[in-house]
Amino acid sequence: MVKKRFTPKVLPVSERLRSFGEVVLGYDYETSVREASRCLRCPLWFAPCSKACPLRVKVPAFLEYIVKGDLEAAARKVYEDNLFPSITGRVCPQEWFCEGNCVVSKIGESVSVGLLERYVGDYARENGLDEKILAEMVSKNSGVKGRVAVVGSGPAGLSAAGWLRLRGYEVVVYEALHRPGGVLAYGIPEFRLPRSVLDHEIKKVENLGVEIRLNHVVGKTVLLSELLSEYDAVFIGSGAGTPKLLNIPGVDLNNIYTANEFLTRVNLMRAHLFPEWDTPISVGKTTLIIGGGNTAMDAARVALRLGSKPVVVYRRDREDMLKTTRRDEVLHAEEEGVEFKYYLQPIEFLGDENGFVKAVRFEVMEPLNELDERGKKKIVGTGRYVEIPADTVVIAIGLEPNRLLMEESGLRFNEDGTIAVDDHLMMSLPGVFAGGDAIRGESTVVEAMADGKRAAEEIDLYVRRKKGLA
Amino acid sequence: MFRVTMKEDLNEQDYYLEVESPHVSRHWRPGQFVIIMTHERGERVPISVATINGGRVGMFIKKLGKTSVELYRDFKVGSSLYAVAGPLGRPLKLESYGTVVLASDAVCGHAEQLGLAQELAKLGNKVISIQTFKTEKEVYPEKYLAKKYVDEYFITTLDGTAGYKGHYIDLLRELLARREVKAVFAGGALANLKKLAEATAGLDVRVYALVRTIMVDGTGMCGSCRVRYNGVIAYACRDGPWFDARLVDWDDVLRRDARFKKVEKIALDKYLAR
Ligand SMILES: Cc1cc2nc3c(=O)[nH]c(=O)nc-3n(C[C@H](O)[C@H](O)[C@H](O)COP(=O)(O)OP(=O)(O)OC[C@H]3O[C@@H](n4cnc5c(N)ncnc54)[C@H](O)[C@@H]3O)c2cc1C
Ligand SMILES: Cc1cc2nc3c(=O)[nH]c(=O)nc-3n(C[C@H](O)[C@H](O)[C@H](O)COP(=O)(O)OP(=O)(O)OC[C@H]3O[C@@H](n4cnc5c(N)ncnc54)[C@H](O)[C@@H]3O)c2cc1C
Ligand code: FES
Repeated sequence: MVKKRFTPKVLPVSERLRSFGEVVLGYDYETSVREASRCLRCPLWFAPCSKACPLRVKVPAFLEYIVKGDLEAAARKVYEDNLFPSITGRVCPQEWFCEGNCVVSKIGESVSVGLLERYVGDYARENGLDEKILAEMVSKNSGVKGRVAVVGSGPAGLSAAGWLRLRGYEVVVYEALHRPGGVLAYGIPEFRLPRSVLDHEIKKVENLGVEIRLNHVVGKTVLLSELLSEYDAVFIGSGAGTPKLLNIPGVDLNNIYTANEFLTRVNLMRAHLFPEWDTPISVGKTTLIIGGGNTAMDAARVALRLGSKPVVVYRRDREDMLKTTRRDEVLHAEEEGVEFKYYLQPIEFLGDENGFVKAVRFEVMEPLNELDERGKKKIVGTGRYVEIPADTVVIAIGLEPNRLLMEESGLRFNEDGTIAVDDHLMMSLPGVFAGGDAIRGESTVVEAMADGKRAAEEIDLYVRRKKGLA
Repeated sequence: MFRVTMKEDLNEQDYYLEVESPHVSRHWRPGQFVIIMTHERGERVPISVATINGGRVGMFIKKLGKTSVELYRDFKVGSSLYAVAGPLGRPLKLESYGTVVLASDAVCGHAEQLGLAQELAKLGNKVISIQTFKTEKEVYPEKYLAKKYVDEYFITTLDGTAGYKGHYIDLLRELLARREVKAVFAGGALANLKKLAEATAGLDVRVYALVRTIMVDGTGMCGSCRVRYNGVIAYACRDGPWFDARLVDWDDVLRRDARFKKVEKIALDKYLAR
């Protein structure tokens, strides 16, 4: 058996520097058949890859169809559990889910499930199979079972909407922004998830009959109470959209961005195409990115493509960074020339006479022989300080749920701002369900999609019960 | 969607624009604003709401940079905007204060006066309005002034060509010395709001100001609009845009307002050279 995985085509580093073109180009047909052949075909009742997938994609089954060369059957298998393989195949941290549990990894490198899922998803999309498969799935319903409102069009909302349609519900999605997709549209850059792919995935949901009402902020434009009286149930997938800021001196200086502002200006508003597009961004020669998560990697690689020199500064070390950051993103950032500095904790931003940032002061940290709840080394200050010059700073230290929506609704929040739900994903208000980052805090695309899918099931049950049908 | 139903000059720089946005007008309350986009490539631009006529939202806009100039030149009655989102921001919690002064010296402030005046009057307040313009020539047509909704009305001009000579701050100082004013609501130029906060420091009167910061999403997602308020960071789009003027760090607001000055000029020059 082949112990090493087959490598996908990747855009050469030299071509990435000023371009937002997709970096990982994926497998071709021959390579995907070869890679899929590395799978040991564990039976589904056992397959650890499938069990580790929040969506429970039947991995060995769809890989078997690839080996047979029946890509339509492979796509059908995937679609039984996952409506968005072209998205998850690109952005899932597979090393924590399917690939991290692959039996092959005990003797060699795990099967590249992500790239194969992406291959099948892209094949289906490029050949119109996805629409055909979905049309068949939706046609199994007879009549309309009810109406559901979905708040937010990120992965949780899109997934809930899709699965609710497939269960025979009329669905209207309310989205605050002018473009659907949530973090997929404003956070994750197009060199990881091309706009054309995202647009197609959203169109696919609309073609199923889901209506998306843009520019509608629930809690402002329409109230939750109105949705409750108009619909049989409501699903909230409002995400964890509010950035945390460092509460240290100088944080208000100009050219200090939160990662969300930095990424939104570029990904959603396309500031890299300014002035053809109207939204500006201002970056200098050196961009310091504070943090070490997915968001930090994306900000660093965007800064690089805007012509600035990115330096990621993380308060722990690389090993700990990889515990919560997608491996591929770190590797790509490193090979693109993003500089990394470890064991530094920011304590002050220094500005010039015009109020623009010019340097950041850090305390040097060191590890203790103790681990925290996430298995990362605890750290402590050494009392030594360094100053690093920078004319742009991006703060990427995390997000918390956006409370805007719920301010007037009287819903129950947990202390960390997440929405409290019961075992059925239902909130303190009957008929209101929630999932994704709104209940988990910062999490992953696939878990948000899995919540959306499970909520569709729970909502179906709830509505049928309410109507005396179940 | 978002069809322009009316466009009219207010003076040489400012114009009135009315756009169909029934989704906004249903729940709008004084203090809240909208975000508009001209086209798919446009910027998300926050604008105050001046009037609500049925499902139509009326705005006062100043020809300032690329978006506001383009909107004036290229959009006619019947054209459609790409996006109108809202109402955004926190509605003002208005009370029965007694005597209240509304003061403004620029588009966004003049716009906010109309809704505020009506609401404050409904709550039984005695409302005094002061609107400052540079010269007589700049004074808006009568139907767009707050005059008809208030108990007492003053125009001030900087050169004295109409009404009181001076700025609203000057007249307000006099009023505060003579009358028992309980609250002031002010909007317009940021530098003058800073002066207002200083002029009223220590006085027994509530002073609220419209804090106009640079926004992107307008929903609390990006932090672009952040302002130092009472020592902590607040988001103008979510926690404001109206704040207690004397708790706002105005130097911070003024500094952050100049963040994109250089590039904004490039966009306008490029548009004008088309
Ligand atoms: C920069 C970045 C990179 C990431 N990279 C990865 C990655 O590679 N892989 C991975 O698995 N995860 C990644 N994540 C995490 C992942 O994106 C999130 O876990 C996921 O998007 C959560 O989905 P969601 O649908 O719950 O929320 P979101 O994607 O946040 O979507 C919420 C949507 O709801 C809308 N909304 C909010 N409030 C309202 C309201 N009141 N009314 C109407 N609409 C509202 C918002 O505008 C938004 O569109 C990344 C996150 C960031 C920020
Ligand atoms: C709550 C609020 C209410 C406002 N009400 C009005 C109003 O009623 N009428 C009106 O004409 N203007 C109003 N503004 C200001 C308006 O948003 C800006 O003038 C507008 O964005 C200018 O765009 P531009 O392309 O024409 O000019 P630009 O050349 O892009 O910018 C000129 C100046 O406008 C400000 N500005 C630019 N972009 C933004 C942005 N995205 N968000 C906020 N400010 C920005 C900055 O001060 C900038 O220096 C309001 C702003 C806020 C925050
Ligand atoms: S404008 Fe983005 S948080 Fe206020």
